[in-house]
Amino acid sequence: MLKLENLSVKVKDTDNLILDNLNLNINNSEVHVIMGPNGTGKSTLSKAIMGHYKFDVVSGNIIFNDEDITNLEVNERAKKGIFLCMQDPTVIEGVTNSEFLRTARSEITGEKVNLFKFIKDMESSMKDVGLDSSMLHRSLNSGFSGGEKKKNEVLQLKFLQPKFIILDELDSGLDVDSLRIACENINNYIKENPETSVLIITHYPRILEYIKPDYVHILMDGKIQKTGDYSLAEQIEKDGYKMIGIDA
Amino acid sequence: MKTLYVIDNNEKTNYKYNIEEDTIIYHFSINSSSDVSIDMSKEDVTLYYYYNNINYDDNYFNIKVNHLVDNTHSEVFNHGVNVKTNKLKYNVDGVVIKSANKCICNQDNQIINMTDGKSTICPNLLIDNYDVDSNHAAYIGKFKDEVLFYMMSRGISLEVANRLLLNGFLLNSDSLDMGKIEEFVNEIERI
Repeated sequence: MLKLENLSVKVKDTDNLILDNLNLNINNSEVHVIMGPNGTGKSTLSKAIMGHYKFDVVSGNIIFNDEDITNLEVNERAKKGIFLCMQDPTVIEGVTNSEFLRTARSEITGEKVNLFKFIKDMESSMKDVGLDSSMLHRSLNSGFSGGEKKKNEVLQLKFLQPKFIILDELDSGLDVDSLRIACENINNYIKENPETSVLIITHYPRILEYIKPDYVHILMDGKIQKTGDYSLAEQIEKDGYKMIGIDA
Repeated sequence: MKTLYVIDNNEKTNYKYNIEEDTIIYHFSINSSSDVSIDMSKEDVTLYYYYNNINYDDNYFNIKVNHLVDNTHSEVFNHGVNVKTNKLKYNVDGVVIKSANKCICNQDNQIINMTDGKSTICPNLLIDNYDVDSNHAAYIGKFKDEVLFYMMSRGISLEVANRLLLNGFLLNSDSLDMGKIEEFVNEIERI
């Protein structure tokens, strides 16, 4: 589904190279995890896949379902089915959650969203993720707690029906119960859409207790230094990065 | 709460208010300039002033809120959109005289430049009393990149994202009676 070929990414208008010839191949239905110490480029990777304005792809390609999307606009990537669940979702005053979601869905599908069906669907989905239905009519992420913002990201995910989900530190700012609810919703989504692939960016393996990965990668110095299965995440949790030969 | 709607369209206007009860004033302006003077002359009274304007030519907006007695509260929100390479200037004065205690005097000013228009905001808090809660904020620029990125990351095109943001920016209150501002809403569609 997603293939990163020799991808090098730098911060825009600087020589600061963050990702250096990185290669990664994620097939349909696979769950991959990127772990690594602070400042190794984990979030840059997620943003580069989405086409963030602060980063430039210096060389290499981002291939999504056999199509080169390296130079595609951000919204076009989303329309192809990529969803970035953000670490710190942006507050947008004056645009309600409701009109944001309806517009996004309509842009992705090219069809108008039926208001009655939308409200019925939302009532049920908001209950599933543990959000009060009144939040639908509030400005997007405005006045939301850290946990509510993350739950709202999961709500968007459920509604926009992506093929490839990037979870950028979903666990930060979520208490244990909220993380469990968020992950249950993502797992249910994956169950209903079994071809969906997931890339999890995280510092801690706690989220992996809920969403089981097929592969765990350690990112360091802009490259994937080691790949393993879930046991690698457990080893990092127990012994830290030094114990697997990575000096953080 | 008393609610007033004011719409200016291609004109120069002067308004003077004496606020004696809790009041919301929605002031919508299409390519116009205005001088507004407000006296807060009765204790324990609150004023919300929402000024929203769309500009194509050089324009100004001067507003002065005078807190003349104790426990008066003003919240002024000025939102402007500069469509062309015109000049737009806001001069926003919050005045609390020495004898007016425990007042709240806040202002929030934002101008969005759609092109390379020149805009100026002068946020002035002229406070002559030690027991006052007062804040001001000013922003001039385009819609922020991080906001546009977030919207586009959900599949929304740049054009539609700007349209949504414009609507939210210029109709920035939950309780607007759209029937009373149809002329202004139609103007937003023309930007």
